[in-house]
Amino acid sequence: MEEDEIFEQRTDLSKLSAAVDQIKTTLAKIIVGQQDSIDLLIAGILADGHILIEGVPGVAKTLTAKLLARSIDAKYSRIQFTPDLMPSDILGTSVFNPKTTDFEFKRGPIFGNIVLIDEINRAPAKTQSALFEVMEERQLTIDGQSYKMDEPFIVLATQNPVEHEGTYRLPEAQLDRFLFKIEVKYPSLDEEIAIITQQHQHKTIDQLHDIKPVLSGQEIISLRQQVKAFHVEDKLIVYVAKLINESRNNKSLFLGGSPRASLAIINAAKALAAIRGRDFVTPEDIIYVAAPVLRHRIMLTPEKEMEGVTPDDVVAQLIQKIEIPR
Amino acid sequence: MHRFIATFFAFIIALMFFNMARAGVKKTVVKKVPAQERLDTSKIQVKKFDAAAVDKFRADKNFNYNEAQDDTSLWTRFWAWVWDKLFGWLKYSRYGGTILEYVLIAAAVGLLIYVVSKSLDIDPIKLWRGEARKVDMPYSESLENIHEISFDSEIEKAIAQNNYRLAVRLLYLKCLKQLSDTQHIQWQIDKTNAAYIHELTDPGQQQTFKLITRQFEYVWYGNFGIDKQAFSNIDALFQDFKKQLS
Repeated sequence: MEEDEIFEQRTDLSKLSAAVDQIKTTLAKIIVGQQDSIDLLIAGILADGHILIEGVPGVAKTLTAKLLARSIDAKYSRIQFTPDLMPSDILGTSVFNPKTTDFEFKRGPIFGNIVLIDEINRAPAKTQSALFEVMEERQLTIDGQSYKMDEPFIVLATQNPVEHEGTYRLPEAQLDRFLFKIEVKYPSLDEEIAIITQQHQHKTIDQLHDIKPVLSGQEIISLRQQVKAFHVEDKLIVYVAKLINESRNNKSLFLGGSPRASLAIINAAKALAAIRGRDFVTPEDIIYVAAPVLRHRIMLTPEKEMEGVTPDDVVAQLIQKIEIPR
Repeated sequence: MHRFIATFFAFIIALMFFNMARAGVKKTVVKKVPAQERLDTSKIQVKKFDAAAVDKFRADKNFNYNEAQDDTSLWTRFWAWVWDKLFGWLKYSRYGGTILEYVLIAAAVGLLIYVVSKSLDIDPIKLWRGEARKVDMPYSESLENIHEISFDSEIEKAIAQNNYRLAVRLLYLKCLKQLSDTQHIQWQIDKTNAAYIHELTDPGQQQTFKLITRQFEYVWYGNFGIDKQAFSNIDALFQDFKKQLS
């Protein structure tokens, strides 16, 4: 007996499921493995969030982000962050037009639908601060004039771990604006063999040019609205609140989760439920997204950092402390 | 230009040598003066102390360095005696006076910190240990212990009230209790339903429990409406699973 025999589907998820499958198939043609990362990337887009992808050099962070951007039919722009990058290089600047004898605002590369910021932590805090308003409010204010970003507006950023040479730690205020921090790990042996084989047979380069968009910007907006309306049981809302509250009282943490983190978990869990073919959230969805949502928002105490404890370890401890609501 | 600068410096150097040469040839002439004897014929006046002024100073209390007479009250002397008995030994030790002073200062500072922290509702010990202040949860939620619920009566009550959603939930919790009692699963507060599914080793039991779990999730987390007929179907599933376990 299947559940469909008892419960009729109240939300039509066929379009969403088809789109998700298409994106996954497209990415799987070039990216080997990384299924969890791909799920989170799609969930991030459906949850209207920005995504930070972290990994050591050479694990296809930029390629994954680029492919995802290509699979969506929207205005794409890429900014390579460097130590000498100025805020005006990203946002734009007013230029004097001698013909009209007036200043004209020249829009920077941030004015796009999908903005890929490569190596985001190569630029210092001054440049990072330029992204605060646009990432949170989806608008820019320059010379007293506000410019609204076109929907959808997604920032996909890649970074090397902060311990690496020539990198800056991103300000907490900016990290909090990213829905997920996805950690890309080294591939397994089998995956590594598959990567080498694909590259050896020139499959990757050929197929990269064949990537066609599977979703339009307008379709993303419509899917997001559908996901927003998903059901979240009251006990699960309390569960998320308890989880975040526990992070604020945890001895291993110097900084706990913000209310923005609570909202991020709920929104991300809804998007993940959509990918999993449900129109309601379960505790599994919340637990799955808890680490990617919290790992960049919480700060360990110096003692715990020295002991080699990771934010993911602390998130796992937090989950262990709170009873799963049933 | 270079030529001009070189000429200028040559002129300056030449001028310096000229002056030095002049200083070297200058002769000093000393005149002879005959010695003369002079006698001091002035009268010396010997100064004496003013006896009246000395007496006046002697009479002044401020210049009296003899030990003052003890004019403290009986109460003060009593406390001085108590302090002497308690901490008098310190007075005669090498660092006694200093230690007592530091102890009293530390006690005063401690008292001040205690009063301030109490007034601000801060726990100073936790502050010292780096612990964050516990914030009371605004929402009090008591999650039931599955080992303490009287399931049969609660399920009957829920069915009688046509609260089939609650009845499904109770059936599921009862099922978890049975699995825990029969050691099929290890009950833990943080384990998800999927974790319990994976703990079942028998494929048949795992399949049925997976189906039961999905029904429960749709009803409880999904808030799907459930009528008497739907409940009967789900209840039948639970009964089948119970038979599989026994």
